[in-house]
Amino acid sequence: MRHIDWNSELVRDGHGLFLSGLPIAMHCHHYSINLQKTLEDTLGTQGVELLVEAAERAAYAGFRSFLSKYSRIKGVKSRLEFASTLYQNCGLGIIHFQDMESEGGVVMSPSSHHVTGWLAKHGRRQTPGCHFARGWIAGVLAVIYDRPFHYYIVEETDCKMSRQERCIFHVRERA
Amino acid sequence: MAIDGNKILHVVMEGSKIRDEKGIIPIFGVYVNLFFVDYYNHLSFEFMKKLGAEREAEAAMLLVQAAQECAYATFQGIRNSREWEEIVEPMLDVKEDQILGFAAVANALGWGEMKVKALVPEEKLVMHVNGWYEAPGYLQFHDRSNSSKCYGIRGVAGAFMDLVYGETYPDGCFTFWAEEPFCLAKGDDCCEFIARKTPQKNHS
Repeated sequence: MRHIDWNSELVRDGHGLFLSGLPIAMHCHHYSINLQKTLEDTLGTQGVELLVEAAERAAYAGFRSFLSKYSRIKGVKSRLEFASTLYQNCGLGIIHFQDMESEGGVVMSPSSHHVTGWLAKHGRRQTPGCHFARGWIAGVLAVIYDRPFHYYIVEETDCKMSRQERCIFHVRERA
Repeated sequence: MAIDGNKILHVVMEGSKIRDEKGIIPIFGVYVNLFFVDYYNHLSFEFMKKLGAEREAEAAMLLVQAAQECAYATFQGIRNSREWEEIVEPMLDVKEDQILGFAAVANALGWGEMKVKALVPEEKLVMHVNGWYEAPGYLQFHDRSNSSKCYGIRGVAGAFMDLVYGETYPDGCFTFWAEEPFCLAKGDDCCEFIARKTPQKNHS
């Protein structure tokens, strides 16, 4: 829980649940994975793009809100560490930013909510499936490097849903 | 014994602070995450938009199905969990009380306050929900709608009845199906959900 005062960030107001002042909900792996599968099965590539974009949009707004409250976290390294901690605190998994520069880099995840959920419900898949993580990474990196929304493209080259050892994401600037 | 929603809420809030070594939150027999509701609203409403007006009914059905299958598995996990056995089970007097227990857990998860307005065993459940995020999320970016927008709770209402009155898990999903006759997104005063037994158990 380094950096984050979780007790003051995660609060109830009436029947709503808020994280850093923004409304959130707790959902379990059944919902995360059912939504993903519904979108992939119904819309194909368009569904994948929608999953990435929705996560990117929400992560961008959410991380900006968080950083605005923690003004002492200024450097890129501290912001990256803050983002990893937030990912873990939200129960989304473990994420490590590696060799990151403002132009791009590599992100590694040894475990995640979506991987655990997908494997529990559907077993191994043939193609990388961490669309949520791709969007989340793109969203927080745009905030960390003070870039506009939708600035980065994130591709997943290795995925634990396909029984690879870890999930590897490559980040680059959108042309 | 009445359902003590505050006690359940406390257990969920405390449990949501516990992560295992993989960064995952295991609570009530499921893996939970905390994320912004804008994510879910964007997915649902853009999905509807991409399928278009002529496929609106199909798109709504797919979203309700996704939610109902989820809630069916989720609350089955919840009612078989250690937390349910220790905290909720002692509050239940009759079979029907399970629905009140489910509603209290759902409220604790940030899904809004669910009030059971009527329950006809084996037949019908009527719920009012205050604080679920889909209708307010819709109105944030759209004009008032001609159709109801709370697909998630439609699935949840159906799943509650499936679990209590359907065949033994996992064969009872879609025994019931819920509609939302009143919705804030349409300008109604509240969101109302009515789950009824399906004529035939087939929504797939």
